[in-house]
Amino acid sequence: MIPAFFRNLFRDLLRQPLRTFLTLSGVTWGTFAVILLLAFGTGIGKQQMKQFRGLGQGIILVFPGQTTMTYNGLPKGRRIQVTPDELDRVRKRVPGVQALSPEFISSRNIRHGREQLLNTVRGVDVPFERIRNTIPAQGRFINETDVRQHRRNCFLGATIAKSLFKGIEPVGQRVMIEGVPFTVVGVMIEKTQNSNYNGMRDTHCAFIPWTTYMTLYGEKYVQNFIVQPSDPALSKQTIAALRNFFGGRLGFNPLDKDALFVWDFSDFERQFNLFFTAFNIFLGVIGSFTLLVGGVGVASIMLVVVEERIREIGIKLAVGAKRRAIMWQFFAEANCIILIGGAIGFLLAALLLTLLPAEQLEEYIGIPRLNPLVGIVTVLILLAIGTLSGLTPARRAAATDPIVALRK
Amino acid sequence: MIEFRNISKVYKMGEVEFVALQGVFITVRKGEFLSIMGPSGSGKSTLMNIIGCLDTPTAGFYYLEGENVAGLTFDQLSTIRNRKVGFVFQNFNLLPYATAYENIELPMLFNGKKGGERRQRVNELLEMVGLSPWARHRPTEMSGGQQQRVAIARALAMDPPIILADEPTGNLDSKSGHEIMEIFSQLWKGGRTILMVTHDPAIAAFSQRTIRLLDGAVQQDGAAT
Repeated sequence: MIPAFFRNLFRDLLRQPLRTFLTLSGVTWGTFAVILLLAFGTGIGKQQMKQFRGLGQGIILVFPGQTTMTYNGLPKGRRIQVTPDELDRVRKRVPGVQALSPEFISSRNIRHGREQLLNTVRGVDVPFERIRNTIPAQGRFINETDVRQHRRNCFLGATIAKSLFKGIEPVGQRVMIEGVPFTVVGVMIEKTQNSNYNGMRDTHCAFIPWTTYMTLYGEKYVQNFIVQPSDPALSKQTIAALRNFFGGRLGFNPLDKDALFVWDFSDFERQFNLFFTAFNIFLGVIGSFTLLVGGVGVASIMLVVVEERIREIGIKLAVGAKRRAIMWQFFAEANCIILIGGAIGFLLAALLLTLLPAEQLEEYIGIPRLNPLVGIVTVLILLAIGTLSGLTPARRAAATDPIVALRK
Repeated sequence: MIEFRNISKVYKMGEVEFVALQGVFITVRKGEFLSIMGPSGSGKSTLMNIIGCLDTPTAGFYYLEGENVAGLTFDQLSTIRNRKVGFVFQNFNLLPYATAYENIELPMLFNGKKGGERRQRVNELLEMVGLSPWARHRPTEMSGGQQQRVAIARALAMDPPIILADEPTGNLDSKSGHEIMEIFSQLWKGGRTILMVTHDPAIAAFSQRTIRLLDGAVQQDGAAT
C-alpha cells in the first residue's frame, strides 16, 4: 500500500519531466532566496555589531548631573561636580574599572595659515586612545608626558586634518586653537562610526591633553568621563560600584539616577540585536513572498494536472477509491514538488555560501551564515506553502463526479 | 440480489429537465445473466450507473443484496463499488501509463490489502484471462481484446458477486468479441451475476434474459416470457 503509493507518486511526477522541473525550479529559487537573504541578514548584523563594538565594546559614559533625591539632610537639586582628583581615586578604589579617561568638550576656533574652522576640541587622557579606538595613522596620540607637563600638543581627526592642511604633512606643523599655538603630534585613521555624543564625530575633532584644556579654558570639573569595565558583561555591577563610590564621596543617594547620568553601551547592544532580529524577519518575509510565488506556480500547475488526469480520477473512483484517497494523491504530489524543490534550493544556497569568497566581502557585509535557525524557519515556510498550494487542487480532484470524468 | 422499485432519474440542465429513467421496476436474482438492450438515449447507461452505484436515483428505492443504497454517502458507495461490483467499459478505461499488472492491482490498493495477497491475486487473474506474459506491458502495447481482458481481470480483483459490462464488445472485432463473451459465460457458470448493456442481438444471445428499454422505461422484460 505505502510503497505502491510512493511508486505511483514518482511515476506521476516523472510523466511530464519538463513541467515538473519548471514547477520545481520556482520553489527552488524561492527557497534559495529565503536562505540567502536570511544568511546575509545574519552576516550583516554580526558585522555591524563588530563595527559598533569597534568604537569601544561595552564602554560606559558617565555625565555628572543634579540630584533629584534628598540625602542625609541635603536638599535635592544640587549639582554634582567631579574633580580630576576624584577620578584618580576611582582608578584605585572602584572594582571592575579597567581604564578611565576624563573628557572635556567644547567648540573652538582652529586655524592653520588662512584655513580657519570652528570645530570640537576634546581634552582627554592617555587611555582614551584604547577605550575609543582613536588609532593614529601618522604620529602618535596624546601621551603621559603631554598630560603631566600640560603640553600644547594636539591629535587631529582625519577630516579636520585634511581641511586644515590640504595635502601638507600635518605632523610637526603648528595650528592655532583660540589663538594659542599647538603642535600636531598625530592624525587619526579614517574610521566608520555609527554613534556619537556631545559634539562632532571623532574625525572632526582635535584632541588635546586634559591638563592643558583645564589650564587654558579655566575648567575645574570634568564634563564627563569614560570607563572601560574589565568585563562588559558585568557593566551593571561596575555602574553600581561607581554610583556607590561617588554617592559616598559627594553626598548623594546611590539610587539617584540623575546625580550621575550613565550611558551603558552594552544596553545599546541589546537594542541593536533587537533591531537586527526585526531586520531579519523583514528579509524572511520578503523571501517568503518569493517562495509564495513558487507555491502559487505549483498550485496552478496542479490544477492543470487534475484537469488532465480527470479520467484517471474517474477510473479510480469507479473501482472504489474514496474521495480521501484521491485528495491525498494530489496533496502528496504538490508537497513532493515543494519539498524536493526546497531541498535543492537549500543545497544550492549552502553550496554558494561555502564557495563565496567571504574574506573579501567581510568588511562590507560580513560573512553570510547558514545557521540552524535559518534552516528551521525555511522548512516551516516550505511546509506552510506546500499545504496551501496542495489543498485547492487536491480538493478539486476529490470533488470529481466519476460519471462526468469517465465520459471524457 | 438487485431490486429496483419505481426508480426515476431526472437530469437538470439549466431550465431543461431530461428524464433518463421513469418508474423502473426490475428484479435480478443471484446468478442471472441479464442483457439490457435499447436505442441510444433509452436510459441503458443511466440504469447501469445506478446499479453500479456510480450514480444515485432521483426517486425510488434500490436494494442491493437487501440494503437500501439510496441513502448512502459517496464514500460508502465507493466501498460498495470496490467490493460488490466489477465494472467493464466499452472503451476499457484502463490507466494508460500503468502496466496490465498495475491496472489489475488498482482496486486492491483502495482497501488496504497486503502486498503478498495482492501479488497472488493479480497473478491468478492474469492467468485466468490468459495474459500472464503481458503483465509488464502497458495498454497501448496491447490489442483491444487483450485490453478488455485486463479490464475484466480488474473488475474481478476484489471478487465481487456482480459484474456490470457496458457494451463490452462495442470496440472489438467479432472474434475478440466472442472471446470476451466466452469469459463472461465462464464467469456466469462460476456463479456470478452479470448485467450487460449491448446493441448486438448476437451478443445478447449469450445471456439468459433480456430487458428492452425505451425512453427510460422497461418496454419488455425477457423474464416474463
